[in-house]
Amino acid sequence: MEPRTPINLVTGPLGSGKTTLLRHILAIRPGKIAIVMNEFGEIAIDAKVLEGKNVRIAELGGGCVCCSLLGEFEAAVTEIIQRVEPDIIIVETTGLAEPEALVFNIQEAAPQCRLDSVVSVIDADMLVCFPELGHTTRLQIEGADILLLNKIDLIEPRQVEPLEAKLRESNPTAPIVRTERCRIDPELLFGIGGEKKGASPQHKHQPEFDSFTFTSKKELSRDCFKAFADHLPSSVYRAKGFVRFEGSTQLFNFVGGRWDLEPFESAETQLVFIGKEIAPEKSSIIAALKDCEL
Amino acid sequence: MAIIDNVRKISDTIWELPTTFKAGMRVPARVIATEKLVREMDEAVYQQISNVAALPGVTRYALCMPDGHSGYGFPIGGVAAMDIHEGGVISPGGIGFDINCGMRLVITNLTLDEVQPSLKEIVDLLFQRVPAGVGSHGFLKLSRQEFRDVVEQGARWCVEHDFGWEEDLEVTEENGYIAGADAAKISERAIDRGYNQIGTLGSGNHYLEIQVVRSGDVRDKELAARFGITIPNQVVVMFHCGSRGFGHQVATDYLQIFLKVMESKYGIKILDRELACAPFESSEGHDYFAAMKCGLNMSFANRQVILHRIREVFSEIFGRSAEDLGMQMIYDVAHNTAKLEKHTIDGKEKTLLVHRKGATRAFGPGHEEVAARYRDIGQPVIIGGSMETGSYLLTGAPGGAATFFSTAHGSGRTMSRTKARKQWHGKQLQRDLEARGIYVRSTSWAGLAEEAGAAYKDIDEVIEATERAGISKPIVRFTPIGNVKG
Repeated sequence: MEPRTPINLVTGPLGSGKTTLLRHILAIRPGKIAIVMNEFGEIAIDAKVLEGKNVRIAELGGGCVCCSLLGEFEAAVTEIIQRVEPDIIIVETTGLAEPEALVFNIQEAAPQCRLDSVVSVIDADMLVCFPELGHTTRLQIEGADILLLNKIDLIEPRQVEPLEAKLRESNPTAPIVRTERCRIDPELLFGIGGEKKGASPQHKHQPEFDSFTFTSKKELSRDCFKAFADHLPSSVYRAKGFVRFEGSTQLFNFVGGRWDLEPFESAETQLVFIGKEIAPEKSSIIAALKDCEL
Repeated sequence: MAIIDNVRKISDTIWELPTTFKAGMRVPARVIATEKLVREMDEAVYQQISNVAALPGVTRYALCMPDGHSGYGFPIGGVAAMDIHEGGVISPGGIGFDINCGMRLVITNLTLDEVQPSLKEIVDLLFQRVPAGVGSHGFLKLSRQEFRDVVEQGARWCVEHDFGWEEDLEVTEENGYIAGADAAKISERAIDRGYNQIGTLGSGNHYLEIQVVRSGDVRDKELAARFGITIPNQVVVMFHCGSRGFGHQVATDYLQIFLKVMESKYGIKILDRELACAPFESSEGHDYFAAMKCGLNMSFANRQVILHRIREVFSEIFGRSAEDLGMQMIYDVAHNTAKLEKHTIDGKEKTLLVHRKGATRAFGPGHEEVAARYRDIGQPVIIGGSMETGSYLLTGAPGGAATFFSTAHGSGRTMSRTKARKQWHGKQLQRDLEARGIYVRSTSWAGLAEEAGAAYKDIDEVIEATERAGISKPIVRFTPIGNVKG
């Protein structure tokens, strides 16, 4: 069974670094990425443009494309999947957009897609200059699975922690990742399951993040695993992989406290956990998973 | 201390946050509402309106109308008048992205009994002829150059190209043509997003509604007659839409420009970055004003073409001409605008840039800017409720001086779109509405759920607040019977 196409939503106020993040992803992420954006020209300058029914598609090389919508979002996504077969779709919202309606659209109206994560890019320097969060900015923070506190190089180191505390007031569950020029480990940004032509190659994680894996040839109890996923510690930013249950194998994607399962073919359970200083949690996480083995 | 504890009651319908509420406020912030509405109002509205009260050039009060709720920068329902000779600013967050989102009302000489048998047919045909939805395209195929002409000439261009009647222009704000719109000030991307959208409703809270005047809903018989509303159970058509992706792009383009120059070039400090602005008297301010006017004209043109399509549909179904069906346009009001107006402040006449975001201009009787036909009775005001509850035709009132002659624009959300989507299911809502005699067509079930009546404030309460505050006077209430939801 073909897994649903993951959609990652990139949101954040005007000028916070959304386009920089997209450039960073394109530069480092292997695989076919379809970017859906409003400001078409920002990324696809001089690209060959194909006019579709619901989308305009610009080729970016390496199978990646940049799309701008002509029709309804749902119809456009279907057209992109049919024409481009991307591994991942990334939707960049305008800085003025409130992400919640789009999140709902993806979850309710685009059954061929899975909402992988909502990433909000927040400009640290802007937060220092404008301590009062605007209405739309607050919604963009509240709706995030991962918060990028970007442009960290533009502020004093002592200013960082108070800003993180402020972000946590609006969103207590999303991990906050400090970045310069949006340089973030794509393993944190993306889940698993979209790779239609083989998995992504191994690479080094950002040094401040740890990761460990769990594998098992035994089946796991579904109820036990669900309880486990609900209680993962907040230091785990991302977890992903395959889980064998009684009768079926599922793809597991966890980000900032939100997780889902969908059917997938795999011979064994293979999970990876990524987070900040999670080494101390490793033994208890592995033990909890062992307890779920049947 | 809760914010509401800082609010001072000035009168039954005026509530004030004093300048001591927040550092930087230049004038007090006032909310026009009944006590019930004030208590229900989202806390963010008070924060937002007090931030507006800190903008350079703001005059007398930063105001919020009774249907206010939080938005980007200004609350929706926010009104602020900037003195352009005192460093007053222009702010896209004070106008809204759907520039000149507005309402238009057209009457017929048909009664409910005559329309009821064909109601479904009418709504279905309207649904087909007036495209709705996020990226909907109009039937009007314009070149980019023609679109530039449209945004500079507004509804006048449409009437000259046979989409409407000359007298439609007389009952549109500024005759549907805002002078000073300059297509050289808009981006190619804005044109991209707009040139095929003339004649489309769009999505969100935009709609086209067939309504009826039920007995007992005429509040002022004499004034109603001035608007041609004289027959029991008379049927009218009201619609709400704006400048679509075009206005949104114009706002986005200039917000980015203003963010770059606001502090570095003009030394303007603001409390909320979403209030990005520039002095009105600056090259950036003038450019945005000229570009924003293109949005105003685009929207007037959009509503003009939609009116034309509505007349075609009625004419086709009833086999009579639109003239014969008495399809007179009553008025067209703009919600999201900034206009240069003369107002008397402390006995002195001043030129103010009045930002109205989700608020309706409402000049009282005798004002020179009111269409000649209505000058003696005051400017017509059209306030749309949710698709379940009803809408109103009002006129501007003399007491409007307290709000720079502005009033409410709708009923105002009480619940976020997402929350509404979680609470109701669109398909079920459609069945419920149909059982109550309201036939609805929509491009999106989830979008329909967003517009459930209970997601909005009580329209009657909002209207009562504007009447008691003396800023507008209700004339007729309309009840929906058919709705095309964007």
